[in-house]
Amino acid sequence: MAAARTGGWLQGKTVRRSGLASSSTSATRSSTPQIQSTSATIFGGGVKDPSGRTSEYFVCRDFIFALYSALTPVCESCIDRLFTLGPAPCPICNKTLRKLAFTPQTFEDLTVEKEVAVRRRIAKDFNKRREDFPNLRAYNDHLEQVEELTFNLINDIDVPETEARIQKYKAENAALIELNLQREEAYARALKEQEEGERREREARALELRQEEEAEREEKEKDRRSIIDKLETSDKDATKVIARAKAHALKRTNARNVSTSAMQSSAQLLRSRAAQSFDIPDVPHVPLQDDYYAYEDMFELKPEMYDDVFSEAVRKDREGIMRAGGYILEEAWERAIRCAVAGLDLAPLVGLVDVPIPRLPGLDDSGDVVMA
Amino acid sequence: MATLAIEPPQENKAKKLPIYEASTQFRNWRFSFESLAKVRGSMNAVAVAAIRKKIEADEPGSSSDIPFLTADEEVLLVKHYITMISRLSGGFKFPEEVEATGITYLKRFYLKNTVMDWHPKNIMLTALFLATKTSNAPLSLEGYTRLIPKTAPSDVLDNEFLVAQSLSFEFSVWHAHRALWGIWLDVQTLPDSTVKLSPDIYNSALSHIRASRLTDAEFVYTPSQIALAAFSLAAPEVAARWLESKNSAAHTISPNVIEEIKTLIQTQGHPTNVEAVREVDRRLRLCKNPEKVPGSKAYMAKKAAEEKKAEEKRLKKAETLQKAMDEGDPFGSEIPKSRVGLVDYEDDDDDDD
Repeated sequence: MAAARTGGWLQGKTVRRSGLASSSTSATRSSTPQIQSTSATIFGGGVKDPSGRTSEYFVCRDFIFALYSALTPVCESCIDRLFTLGPAPCPICNKTLRKLAFTPQTFEDLTVEKEVAVRRRIAKDFNKRREDFPNLRAYNDHLEQVEELTFNLINDIDVPETEARIQKYKAENAALIELNLQREEAYARALKEQEEGERREREARALELRQEEEAEREEKEKDRRSIIDKLETSDKDATKVIARAKAHALKRTNARNVSTSAMQSSAQLLRSRAAQSFDIPDVPHVPLQDDYYAYEDMFELKPEMYDDVFSEAVRKDREGIMRAGGYILEEAWERAIRCAVAGLDLAPLVGLVDVPIPRLPGLDDSGDVVMA
Repeated sequence: MATLAIEPPQENKAKKLPIYEASTQFRNWRFSFESLAKVRGSMNAVAVAAIRKKIEADEPGSSSDIPFLTADEEVLLVKHYITMISRLSGGFKFPEEVEATGITYLKRFYLKNTVMDWHPKNIMLTALFLATKTSNAPLSLEGYTRLIPKTAPSDVLDNEFLVAQSLSFEFSVWHAHRALWGIWLDVQTLPDSTVKLSPDIYNSALSHIRASRLTDAEFVYTPSQIALAAFSLAAPEVAARWLESKNSAAHTISPNVIEEIKTLIQTQGHPTNVEAVREVDRRLRLCKNPEKVPGSKAYMAKKAAEEKKAEEKRLKKAETLQKAMDEGDPFGSEIPKSRVGLVDYEDDDDDDD
């Protein structure tokens, strides 16, 4: 019933084992502590606060957490409860916090959230660009300093010292920071304006097109009416009248097409500029890098079939199952013949060729193979 | 095939490397007869010295009358096990490639190790198993050991890395029977094919190649030469004519080489005398390296030494870790953990229970 529902949050729904309460299907998970339905829970609600003092009814997913200093997940209702009356000590770390200091959580992992917040803050101050440095090395050194400060802040190393360094930097480079801020703002504004301009252009074009169409339609109507009139009034030959009218219409459409083509060319210009890539063409790919002599001059493959016992099965195979894997009989023959002529003229080694006593890396002193 | 838009860079007068000479078989496993003998001899001497030392450490004075094997006897034993590989391959109906590769692996292994350290019985099984894998005819370990009597999977697996390491992980072998097939195809392009090539010739040549596997031919000659020799034993005139056709200014093939191989096959390509092998085997049992025999004193001693070294390493590591822990967090100061709320949001278990 509606009346009961409005105060529903006060009543506290019990969570049964087999099914969840309807309003919390997506929010709660299996590890939500199972609440036994006793009289205390109906009014006392569900989960106990970390501070152990009061209870909340549901643990909600949209956690809000304090400024990166504390990283405590606190739900919205608790924030309302604790901090509406002004700054209050945090129930866990007892630091005085304001309601304003809470930001909604965007990442599931709180460490990530903290890191993002730190970086956002630092990026506002340390915004020097590459052009502000004489060379690349100086720029990279600056970036490394910034990263060091960030790392310290994220991992709570030497926090007061790091803060002091940040302040020092801000004081020293106040002018440059300002300047860079201005520059970024200007850039952002320029971009926006560009977008605006484009949008307006597009709209204008659409408008024009529409007007064109209107005009065309009207023209056609007028033509038709004029033809009919002329046929009515004049006594000239009917076909000639129609022909003249048609010529008029044609001339007019040609004139219009010329004007529209001028407009389209600007779009084409943009497209062509985008398509123009100044990439260096890739190095041509040579798939076979090795260059062996494969005894080609020592044999010649017979163009017809060989009389060959071994390949009978493959040749008789009507359905070609054996050739399915890409087996080409001619290649097999070629390889066999190549094997037959490979090294045919290699004289065998004679005499005590310097063959060292086989000493494998796995041998120990007595010549035993040491199994790794 | 699409044509390349760009031509490959022109080799200006540089001699291209023949493809066989780029293979490891040519580069690392090519010897002369003399150097083969030298390698085997020195391997044998080193092994005997080492084993003698171990036995002396065990029981001083007992090693003087142990009949150690000579290099030739080792070769004999290996030869015997090569025939065993052939028999096994026949039983499993492996393709020729597997059998040939297995035999090659076995022979190469015993160029780098001695029989007294590793008995060929298990090495043979491992070599054949490896060969099935590298020749793209793999079968499961259970399937393999089930059909071989008195074999446990561990017999095969224990030595696998050892064999691979002894082969320097060079598993690709160029075989003579492939070259034979090539010759068989190529003689059909000879201009005057008066001889009707019957399969008998091919089979006879193949049997000669199988005989050649019992010899050291593949370490000295190229597979094409061995194949030509085998073919020449089967059909001399055709082989001679084919050789003629291949002989040219750029490639001078010496027929003497072929003759050498032929004699080699005919003299040494016979299976071994079973009695002699049995004799060698008996002596082997006496002179085996005690370290490799599980259960002997030397083996235990070696194991203990290894254990100690590993233990020391572990202790040292624990020490350094402990030091790091004591001097503060080894990873640096921690980011303060956000207080764990009452609800564990990391728990992604979405069901109710």
